[in-house]
Amino acid sequence: MANLNIRSKQERTYQAIVIGSGISGGWAAKELCDLGVKTLMLERGRNVEHVKDYPTTNMLPYEFEHRGQIPEDIKKENPVVSRCYAFREDAMHFFVKDTEHPYVQEKPFDWIRGYQVGGKSLLWARQVQRWSDFDFEGPARDGFAVDWPIRYKDIAPWYSHVEKFAGVSGNKDGLAHLPDGEFLPGYELNVVEKYFQEQLKKHYGNDRHMISSRCAHIHGNADYYAQQGRTLCQNRNLCQRGCPFGGYFSSNSSTIPWALKTGNLTMRPDAIVHSIIYDEEKGKATGVRIIDRLTKETEEFYADVIFLNAAALNSNLVLLNSTSNRFPNGLGNDSGLLGKYVAFHNYRARVSAEYEGYSEYATSGGRPTSGYFPRFRNVYKQETDFLRGYAAGFSAGRGVRPNTEGIGMDLKNNLLNPDQYGPWYVGSHMMGETIPKESNYVALDPNLKDEWGMPQLRISVDYDDNDEKMVKDYIEQMTEMFDKAGFTNIRSSDSKQAAGLDIHEMGGVRMGNDPKTSLLNANHQLHAVPNVYVTDGASMTSTSTQNPSLTYMAFAARAAHHAVAESKK
Amino acid sequence: MNRRIALRHLALISGGLALIPSCDFSSDDILAAYEKLKVTASQKTLLGSISDTIIPAGEIKGALDIEVPDFILVMVNDCMDTSNQELFTQGLAAFPNYVKSATGKKFDALSSKEKEELILAGTKLEGEENKALSYFLNTTKRFTIQGYMASEYIQTEIIPYSLIPGEYNGAVLISDLQKPRING
Repeated sequence: MANLNIRSKQERTYQAIVIGSGISGGWAAKELCDLGVKTLMLERGRNVEHVKDYPTTNMLPYEFEHRGQIPEDIKKENPVVSRCYAFREDAMHFFVKDTEHPYVQEKPFDWIRGYQVGGKSLLWARQVQRWSDFDFEGPARDGFAVDWPIRYKDIAPWYSHVEKFAGVSGNKDGLAHLPDGEFLPGYELNVVEKYFQEQLKKHYGNDRHMISSRCAHIHGNADYYAQQGRTLCQNRNLCQRGCPFGGYFSSNSSTIPWALKTGNLTMRPDAIVHSIIYDEEKGKATGVRIIDRLTKETEEFYADVIFLNAAALNSNLVLLNSTSNRFPNGLGNDSGLLGKYVAFHNYRARVSAEYEGYSEYATSGGRPTSGYFPRFRNVYKQETDFLRGYAAGFSAGRGVRPNTEGIGMDLKNNLLNPDQYGPWYVGSHMMGETIPKESNYVALDPNLKDEWGMPQLRISVDYDDNDEKMVKDYIEQMTEMFDKAGFTNIRSSDSKQAAGLDIHEMGGVRMGNDPKTSLLNANHQLHAVPNVYVTDGASMTSTSTQNPSLTYMAFAARAAHHAVAESKK
Repeated sequence: MNRRIALRHLALISGGLALIPSCDFSSDDILAAYEKLKVTASQKTLLGSISDTIIPAGEIKGALDIEVPDFILVMVNDCMDTSNQELFTQGLAAFPNYVKSATGKKFDALSSKEKEELILAGTKLEGEENKALSYFLNTTKRFTIQGYMASEYIQTEIIPYSLIPGEYNGAVLISDLQKPRING
């Protein structure tokens, strides 16, 4: 393979290298650059510049040839990504196609990826609920995985730090298990959602809550966000196209341009990381070897500290592929647990219903979020025959539809004057915690390689009995709550979707106190190679129920400050 | 998208000559723009008449005025699997006979009312022998509605689509709404 190391080593040397430009890599780079660290950001995909590279962002529905639908040929060639709700004509250019980046499914696993600057931060659902000690203490209390080496008090100030900058809207709900944060004004729940809140209070006292979901959208304090070149969310609900207002948080709209402005950030897109280079004499990592996506030539970059934020499973892949005499089974893998204890979120079940009340009301305008049910199962003590619990999304809405039964002028008049207000629709979907297990793992395929000669990832991750019980309980409990609230026509479904489609895969490089049973310490450093930090989903010891991105952001910011403090010792 | 438009123009300008060199100029050329369907020019014209019966012109333009038949064929060609494409084209091919056996006339010779009744009845046909025809008519109706409502004309001139729908109001009295909005 050709070698591009023609520039002097000095020219290819930085103080820090961040691998990955998604939500956690963006934060690591932003913090390092703010602290004066000369940082190189490596991204395997193409560059996507804020606004400039959002080709569909202002397109009107009729400008899409298939009105949003994905053509059959593309679906057939790419069955995995085609199952993702956001893979539509308006955002398909931000998703990895199955055919371009193959992997091996030992068990069905829908691996949804975004290979470009900004990664999946362009595409995420933007829900940002904090963890509490009910989550961090879960493994220790309930006897699974290993104890988290950190607690809420360690991460709380970093939640505040990232919330302020990213812009998080929410209400101070005063819930011990879903701590309040630094919130911009929350979004309003609608009349039926408020009604359901009251019904929960009436039937369940203070045990069950439904709140306006905290989301990473700018809903106030516009002057502060103007410094980032962002402005108020316009309620367009077209976020997956990239937002020209920067109304929601992404690496592209926020952390990356901010870091570039410091003058300390160098971007290197199209750089597929082959491995992290380990120097046995120095006993530390000294750099990163990459393969250029376009030329397929290799190049090396050097730095004192390396942040690995390639997204959960790809961070596993990079470490597994970083072998040396000292680490024949992957960098930092003395425990033999690298790639193991992978987990995800159980998103299989939904419950929906109708409500005949408030028939004189509808809604107008748009909002980027809806309701959220924090976990209520097994919070204070074990009370069911399954471990842990689930959060749930909740929303009510009411559309107006035309009568489409007729034909001719009647049909035309009906279409142009829609007047059929049905009952309110209410819907909920579960977000269950899954228990990390050694048998849920990723590994390198010994033979299969991708187009760039990188080993393909073998994924062996599945549901278990605990998940099945949880699906059943969610359906039972939500049905009961809907019934008590007077909702009718209650329907439930279990999609039995493969693991991965939740797009919340986590673990494999878990944190822990003991190097024998974990890979990372309390500061996100590899136990055995402390100048390598992993602060994305790979570092998760357990999954809890909250959408995880906010926690990755806080981890990345906290670890960046730790790395800088260490360098000054 | 550009390739399709180019092909379409080419087929129009040359009458299909460039693409099907052996064609008889007066014959019914297969339209190259919908390569999976093998639909002829006269079938597309018929489809146009059907869609224009479903949503006719009046003070406000109808389906044919805004090229809904093209949208229907693009969607069937690109977004349907092979078996549904076959059902659709079989139904389209069977339609003239359906009209003839029901009325003894050609579709174009019928009054608007007769056309409407015939299409509506066709969408409700049951049984294996009518599967393709009713599938074709229901699909055509569904795509006519979609193509019409999600057209530039409707969404700019009749019911403007709002890219910025405004702040959320979670409790609006329906009686206070001027007109239901398509977006937000």
